[in-house]
Amino acid sequence: MEEPILELKNVSVTYKNAEKEVYAVRNVNLTIEKGDSLGIVGESGSGKSTLIMALLRLLPENSTVIEGQARFLGRDLFTMTLEELNEIRWTQMAVVFQKAMNSMSPVHRIGTQFEDIYRVHEPKASRAEIKKRVYELFRLVNLPERVYKLYPHEMSGGMLQRVAIALSMLHHPNLLIFDEATTALDVVTQGQILKEVAELEKTMAMTRIMITHDMSVVAVSCSKIAVMYAGEFMEIGRTRDVLKNPQHPYTKGLLKAFPSLKGEIDGLSAIPGFLPDLSKQCRGCIFAPRCPKKTKACETTRPKPVRLADGRTVVCLAVGGEENE
Amino acid sequence: MSDKTPFVHIDHISKWYPYKSGDRNLKKEKGGRLYVKAVEDISLDIEAGEVLGIIGESGCGKSTLGRILTRLERPTQGDIFIEGVPVSEMIRQDSKKFRRKVQIVFQNPYDSFTPKDTIEKILLRPLKNHNIGSTKEERIQMCLEALERGGLHPAESIMKRYPHELSGGQLQRISIIRAMFLNPQFIVADEPVSMLDVSVRAEIINMLLELSRERNAAVIFISHDIALTRYISDRIAVMYLGRIVEYGKSDDIVRNPLHPYTKALISNCGSIDVDEEMSIINIEGEPPTPINPGPGCYFAPRCFCTCEKCQVNYPEWIEMEEGHFVSCHCAEKEGGKQN
Repeated sequence: MEEPILELKNVSVTYKNAEKEVYAVRNVNLTIEKGDSLGIVGESGSGKSTLIMALLRLLPENSTVIEGQARFLGRDLFTMTLEELNEIRWTQMAVVFQKAMNSMSPVHRIGTQFEDIYRVHEPKASRAEIKKRVYELFRLVNLPERVYKLYPHEMSGGMLQRVAIALSMLHHPNLLIFDEATTALDVVTQGQILKEVAELEKTMAMTRIMITHDMSVVAVSCSKIAVMYAGEFMEIGRTRDVLKNPQHPYTKGLLKAFPSLKGEIDGLSAIPGFLPDLSKQCRGCIFAPRCPKKTKACETTRPKPVRLADGRTVVCLAVGGEENE
Repeated sequence: MSDKTPFVHIDHISKWYPYKSGDRNLKKEKGGRLYVKAVEDISLDIEAGEVLGIIGESGCGKSTLGRILTRLERPTQGDIFIEGVPVSEMIRQDSKKFRRKVQIVFQNPYDSFTPKDTIEKILLRPLKNHNIGSTKEERIQMCLEALERGGLHPAESIMKRYPHELSGGQLQRISIIRAMFLNPQFIVADEPVSMLDVSVRAEIINMLLELSRERNAAVIFISHDIALTRYISDRIAVMYLGRIVEYGKSDDIVRNPLHPYTKALISNCGSIDVDEEMSIINIEGEPPTPINPGPGCYFAPRCFCTCEKCQVNYPEWIEMEEGHFVSCHCAEKEGGKQN
């Protein structure tokens, strides 16, 4: 079997200050194979972005503690030097943030900015060569060629976000991370970009991680789904299996909060309660206080990940989480 | 579109904003002025107790329409009739009475409260302004009851807090409670849940529906989330560049869209049903700016089934099925009686 693109082993991220420690991500294990597209869903504050920021080493080093291992193409991201990191950033691993459209320089033309960024990794590239590549990318994200000559203020937010997405694919990265990158876009634009990206993955063997709180985006564009709650993965599996037959009570709760587009109209229901205080260590299952099916054991026993027959991992006592203790 | 007087009747309203530009290529109206036609010639009826969803891309004029309906903006043309009385008349006579009838819930709960006031002050203000309750104690009691009923416990402690001390979901509930205090009969909800977390969305929606049903109020629900709008609304109106292009029962619109724009919009909309097949219809480019669009169909430049007619006239409203209206030359050809 081929080596996985990204392998996380017991990754924990803790934010620290003088008064307290916040355990934002706890003991996360994850394997992403080549060509996978993984959607990470969960409500806000569940640690989705923290995990990604930790992988990108973008968290401030003096106030965060990162533990565990993250092997990216055989190298550990957490122990890499800054030079090594700079080497792989953008060429092998690229990211698009939700507000990426605000990160363009307002006083330079889009084309100039693309040229600058392209030359960071390919210092000898000629202008014509860059232009050719950029036009290719523009076509991909449904932008007209005239964008090359425009300033950011001459474009709408949706167009700028598409520029940012084009920018992330400049050097054919092996791993592309979308952190709510399409959330601010319109339905039509979002649908088209997701379709384009999915096609790209097939042709160029690109791997993608997609962070979102919109289950329907994952349903149409990702092959795998990971449901995150309070810094832990609750359920990881193939999108089809998980959405059709969710096992974890949290996944079930999240799905009930989304209405179906064309199917029957059932009642919508919310998950009662709030995220727990992440500065306190939790003995039992982290979801127990909000779980509709909790038992006594849930408050005291920490569930272990269980691998089911269809290849998914569920962390819940009710699914047999205590067996392998 | 029916004979009897509807509860709310929106009669051919338009909102044009004057636009200044040095661009000489733009064609100008008579008198050399340019206008951004944010809302153009919209007519709709809403019955009491009905929920009407309005969907469309950003910039299509959904929110402007909402602001006109609540009179935060004056329409350039046309008027709104509530129970047969024109709103402009109502405002001139007694603007407070109009405000009691019509209320709005905004998109961003963090921005819709004064940060310097406690929730108590915020909630007491509308009661006091409209002379509801005789003493301060009575009003406070009303606030406490409303908060408790809205699921905000403990009400006493929440009353003493400032907006920044509450979560978005809690604030949006308070904003609904505040709107409902005056027993409005017509509520405009402008993307009330798009800023909120998925896990609390359902709660807010259910609360809004419950409260408006109790009062048999008419609700306009503005959103870009089609699945959610279908869940909430009885009818849906689809807007494109300031105009309504399709109107009908929610299920008809989502399952059997007739206008090419609606078709594209719905085909691009993801569903959590993994079995549902997706066949995305591509539409090119962005919506053009609504500066003097036309004369033909506004959607024609991006449409996948245009003909010559589309370039010349704006299509008329036609009723394709019972209560399902569309304005498109393409659909016209396929049959349907002229309205």
